[in-house]
Amino acid sequence: MDIELSTEDLAFKAEVKEFFHDNQMKKGEDYFSWRSRWFEKAKEKGGWDVPKWPLEFGGPGWTPTQHYIWEQETSRATLPFDLPFGTSMLAPILMGYGNKEQQDRFLPDIRARKVNWCQGYSETGAGSDLANLKTKAELSEDGTYYTVNGSKIWTTAAHMADWIFCLTRTDDSGIKQKGITFLLFPMKQEGIEVTPIITLGGSHTVNTVHFTDVKVPVENRIGEEGKGWTYAKGLLQHERTGLAGLSRSLVALESLKENARSVVRGNGTLMDDPGYKAKIAELEIDLMASEYTELRCLASASAGAELGPESSILKLKGTEIQQRIQKLIVEASGIYSPAWGDQSVGLPFAKGGTAGYLSSRAYTIFGGASEVQRDVIAKNVLGLTKGSTK
Amino acid sequence: MNFELSDEQRMIQQNVERFVEDNYDLNTRVALSSKSPGFSTEYWQSMAELGWLGLPFEEEDGGFGGNQIDVLVVMEQFGRGLVLEPYLASIVMGGGALKRGGSDALKSEMLPGVIEGTLQLAFAYAEMQSRFDLDDVMTSARREDENFILNGQKSMVQNAETADQIVVTARTSGGQIGQQGITLFLIAADAEGLTRDNFPTVDGLRASEITLENVSVGAERILGKVDQGFNILQSVANDAMLALGAEAVGAMEVLYKDTVDYTQQREQFDHPLSEFQVLQHRMVDMFMEYEQCKSLLYRATMETIQDPEAAQRTIHALMHLIGKSGLFIGENAVQLHGGMGMTEELRIGHYFKRLLAIDATFGNADYHLQKFTTFS
Ligand SMILES: Cc1cc2nc3c(=O)[nH]c(=O)nc-3n(C[C@H](O)[C@H](O)[C@H](O)COP(=O)(O)OP(=O)(O)OC[C@H]3O[C@@H](n4cnc5c(N)ncnc54)[C@H](O)[C@@H]3O)c2cc1C
Repeated sequence: MDIELSTEDLAFKAEVKEFFHDNQMKKGEDYFSWRSRWFEKAKEKGGWDVPKWPLEFGGPGWTPTQHYIWEQETSRATLPFDLPFGTSMLAPILMGYGNKEQQDRFLPDIRARKVNWCQGYSETGAGSDLANLKTKAELSEDGTYYTVNGSKIWTTAAHMADWIFCLTRTDDSGIKQKGITFLLFPMKQEGIEVTPIITLGGSHTVNTVHFTDVKVPVENRIGEEGKGWTYAKGLLQHERTGLAGLSRSLVALESLKENARSVVRGNGTLMDDPGYKAKIAELEIDLMASEYTELRCLASASAGAELGPESSILKLKGTEIQQRIQKLIVEASGIYSPAWGDQSVGLPFAKGGTAGYLSSRAYTIFGGASEVQRDVIAKNVLGLTKGSTK
Repeated sequence: MNFELSDEQRMIQQNVERFVEDNYDLNTRVALSSKSPGFSTEYWQSMAELGWLGLPFEEEDGGFGGNQIDVLVVMEQFGRGLVLEPYLASIVMGGGALKRGGSDALKSEMLPGVIEGTLQLAFAYAEMQSRFDLDDVMTSARREDENFILNGQKSMVQNAETADQIVVTARTSGGQIGQQGITLFLIAADAEGLTRDNFPTVDGLRASEITLENVSVGAERILGKVDQGFNILQSVANDAMLALGAEAVGAMEVLYKDTVDYTQQREQFDHPLSEFQVLQHRMVDMFMEYEQCKSLLYRATMETIQDPEAAQRTIHALMHLIGKSGLFIGENAVQLHGGMGMTEELRIGHYFKRLLAIDATFGNADYHLQKFTTFS
């Protein structure tokens, strides 16, 4: 154990810093052309556009320390936005269970951020109990395509997605976990209807998606029919570590402090308020510990161990940290926190803060609700066998 | 010691409860809230006819001579229905300032209209820099012959958009911070130099930023005495906090009960959610927080009636608990509803947002905790 960065690590750190510095968005530059250029440049660096991908698929093959350095530096730089569905969620499935043809067909566009994906898992009856899903996929008699019927709910970004990776039921004769099939298909086609759901933050990010006789060629099935659950479960672990969002929280914590310093209280600012300061400190301490929990996860993962149930710790801690940050923004906004609507009133960060707080309540619901995550840890880590989830 | 409501109060409670049940489903509320004036003028008239607007006013002023308990009874039911009408702004705050500080002439000019629902009031006490401190006032009032000239800005003023008259706190002497030197003025909303910038708030209500530019107000429109307005301000704020506390308790009740209902209906893993012990315990905690808030609400209300000054500490205690428990209950109602809890479609989100706004009105949980510690 040793915290000292080696000469190579220091050189890497400098290189990352330099990369972020050299590839900032230029004044007047179009956001999307900057975004494409950024990912191209990152790719040229040797897989920096897909840091988590393994070497054989064009990832950088970093050591845990390098990942840590990257995370640290990303929290100080502005990176182009990136939805997790393609690069972080589907890609590992394709790499693990897709065939060569599917990998060649889908991975390059995912990597280039050319195709937007959405995740079609949850249904009204299948939330925490995902295996209860009912969306039906029927294989044609000639065995060349599936016909999909049913509905998904809470599908993030379905209204902007080109493709969906979708869990469907091909067999309901056995236990729920069997008979689930993992299909990929385009969103913009006849028989798919997307309806928005407006959430508490006032925004439209999630949708219901209805499928009526959607035809999906068998080539678009990942792995074997009926084995989709096994593939999806592996993916959920990836999703969860990703959701911890620690580097984002580091950035958010800094801007939180900055905002609090702009709120005048008596002779000082809100950052001089002992109660408020203590809450920020507690938050920062949890974040410091979580950073190292993540690092330990990375280390065991790179030593070849499977990403285990410890990743649930990160999801739980990370999302709770994000929610606490949002709550402190609301507190900093004081009387202005209820201001709503389009115009900005009073403190500049107030309005976004309240919307952000409300949206953040979902962090402990999606990607495995906190109560269920705790159940997973109880069963799989502590060995307490009689959990309430299966 | 007696926690029973009087027969009259019980009748009011039942009437308000029925009114809310008959008139305030979520769709109606959303529809009312989304267009001007943001509530139903018809409902407001009914409330006047039913006598609710006159409850906290003296009989000689045309009211019913009720006290804070009567307001509690009304506000708790309003909280259960997320009522939009400006009872707090016009009756408890604006009316509360007028009845305490208005001259006889002013009272007889204004109060009948307030009680009949034809004249609406607002209460402008907060400013950008003041945060939750009532004695932090930068808006200035300079004497010029028989008039005062007001300049400054007031923030987050509820119901200013529809108010006919607005009570404004301004400084007639002293520095920015201090109780001495604050004066209350009753200003016509259409007075020259007064502009309102109206906007919605997260809870479906409306508020305004008010700018005062050389607004001339006659000395006869001062509530209370020059420089001595703070006591009235504090009393009005205390009544408002008790009313908000009651509203919050009503909202909490709906949140915990809806959650209990939902978890009994929703099944996952082949069981109703309500069978999972971790959720049962969470709901027990929500229920306990609600009951504790209710206890402190009764305590603060009765102490205020008995000895307002001594009750100040309890009011801070109440608002601390209301803020903390309100968010605890709101957050967990959403959590236990899962994705459904995040939608605008279910009413729980709307109750949660109202509790969020209540926590930011006269001070959040932290603020009141700190205030509480200043009383030894
Ligand atoms: C903003 C948002 C975005 C989303 N994006 C997507 C997406 O892109 N794709 C997708 O497929 N899904 C998505 N989801 C759905 C998400 O994965 C589900 O909401 C989640 O799995 C929880 O399911 P549910 O909402 O049905 O809640 P439920 O499963 O009904 O849970 C309700 C409550 O009960 C608790 N609970 C459930 N089971 C147990 C148990 N056994 N023991 C103890 N407590 C239990 C839960 O913890 C929760 O508190 C999204 C959800 C949200 C809110």
